[in-house]
Formats: sequence, structure tokens, C-alpha cells
Amino acid sequence: MNIVIGISEMRVSRNPEEVLVTFALGSCVGLTLFDPSTGIGGLIHAMLPLSKIDPVKAANNPYMFVDTGVPALMQTLFDLGAQKKHLIAKVAGASTIMDDKGIFNIGERNHTVLRKVLWKNNILIAGEDVGGNSPRTVYLHMNTGKTILKMAGQEREL
Amino acid sequence: MAFNILVVDDSETVRAVVKKTLDIAGVPVKTLFQAENGLKGLEILRTEWVDLVLADINMPVMGGVAMVEEIKSDTDLAGIPVVIISTEGSATRIQQLRDKGISGFLRKPFTPEDLKKLVEELLGKADTHG
Repeated sequence: MNIVIGISEMRVSRNPEEVLVTFALGSCVGLTLFDPSTGIGGLIHAMLPLSKIDPVKAANNPYMFVDTGVPALMQTLFDLGAQKKHLIAKVAGASTIMDDKGIFNIGERNHTVLRKVLWKNNILIAGEDVGGNSPRTVYLHMNTGKTILKMAGQEREL
Repeated sequence: MAFNILVVDDSETVRAVVKKTLDIAGVPVKTLFQAENGLKGLEILRTEWVDLVLADINMPVMGGVAMVEEIKSDTDLAGIPVVIISTEGSATRIQQLRDKGISGFLRKPFTPEDLKKLVEELLGKADTHG
């Protein structure tokens, strides 16, 4: 069963029958975290890098921002029983869609902040596909822990 | 088994990044030796057992290239794999270094993931965890 994660949303699961999916990642960044030792995983679709531009919105929905959403995702996974040392991180998105001239560099900034948050939390990225100007769809299959990227009509494992 | 790794770089920040990367990548490190130039690196190599050397090129006192030449001309040290981590990354330069006997090259700025991949390739993924 597909569980759809919209923009500025996050879901976690430990149900092997579920597939977490987020569609149309543009300059937003998608992150999957999966702990194979417990089968617990989650997916976030964050829109903007830093919560300081709107702390009120961040308080209402931390998943809008990378710097608040990713730690919140991690904490939710830990509360379920996932262990940090086992987490496998996969990243997709951060493209230049709607920002052809690179004026805002949202995608690049999302990616940079995400890398910083993961590094600070001692997590290395096991696979990623970022940049460019094509939209991406990302699936986290809870039965295998595999993250599948769909882009330009092609599918591959991250 | 755990490995002894020597990091030779005059930047304390780079040495710290290497240390943290090896740690969170789960590379089993017994001792991480650190040196701020090639000469100090050689001193450590001649007194300690080292399985892998990660070295910068541009350093005061003795740079990475001179250090590699010393290592490869010393029969006791010649077998130790050396990875160069540097901003000097032209194809010619890398080939020159490979001719001198280096086992790998990583361009600065590097990501921790790049370093993890390279170290695992050299030390054997079966010996790492995480």
C-alpha cells in the first residue's frame, strides 16, 4: 500500500506492506532513513533549508524546513525504536526547477543544509541523486528498505 | 581486525574531518596517527605500524610528493598504501603521483562519503562495519 508524503510532510513506518512515496521533488529535498535491524524507516519532503525565515511556520510544521524537519524525522524514528548507528540515508531532489537562473539556489541550499544536519548527527549519505532540472519521485519500500528513484521515466535504486 | 591509519595534513580541520568520517563510516581504526607535514609523517611511519596513509600535497617542511618518494624508496615502508588528498587534481598530476606509487587520489573539497568509499576499497569492505 502506497503512503503518499506531500510537500512539507513526513511519514514513518514499520509496516513491511507499506511503500512510502513522495512525488515531484523539485528544488525540495527528499530524505529516506531506514534501519534494517528493526525495519523502521521514514521519508521527509522538505521545502526550504532554514527555519529562521519563519519560526512560527516551523513551530507549526517542522517538516517544511530541512533544519527542523530532519531532526524531527530522526527523533520520531528513535521513538519507534530505530537506532542511529544503523540508519541508512538516501537523498534526492534539490534541483533547479523554477529557478533556472539560480537566483535563489533553493535546491543547492536545501542540499547543503541537509548534508550539514546529517554530518552533525554522524550520518553519512549512502546514496543520492540531486541537482539538474528534472522532477524526481522517491519510494521507500518498507519490506526491503530499498529507496527507489523515478526520474524521466526511468527507475533505479539509490 | 582494526587498522592503524596515518593522516598527514597541515590543516587541523581536515584531520578532524578525516577522523570523524572514519568513525561514523564504521571503519575499524585501532590508532589514528596524525602529522602536520611529511617529515613528521615519516617519523611516525618508521616507529609505528601503519596500514594506510592519507596525505595532503602542499605542506610546510616536507610536502606529500617528497614524502611519497621517501616511502616508496624505503623497502620497509614501500608496501604501505598511500592516498593523496589534495586540491591539486589535474590528470597529469594524478598520473605523476600514480607513477610514484600512490594507491588512490581524493580531490579537495571531498565529501565524507567519497573518503569512506576510497578507504573501504583499499582496506576491504569485509573488514568494515556500519
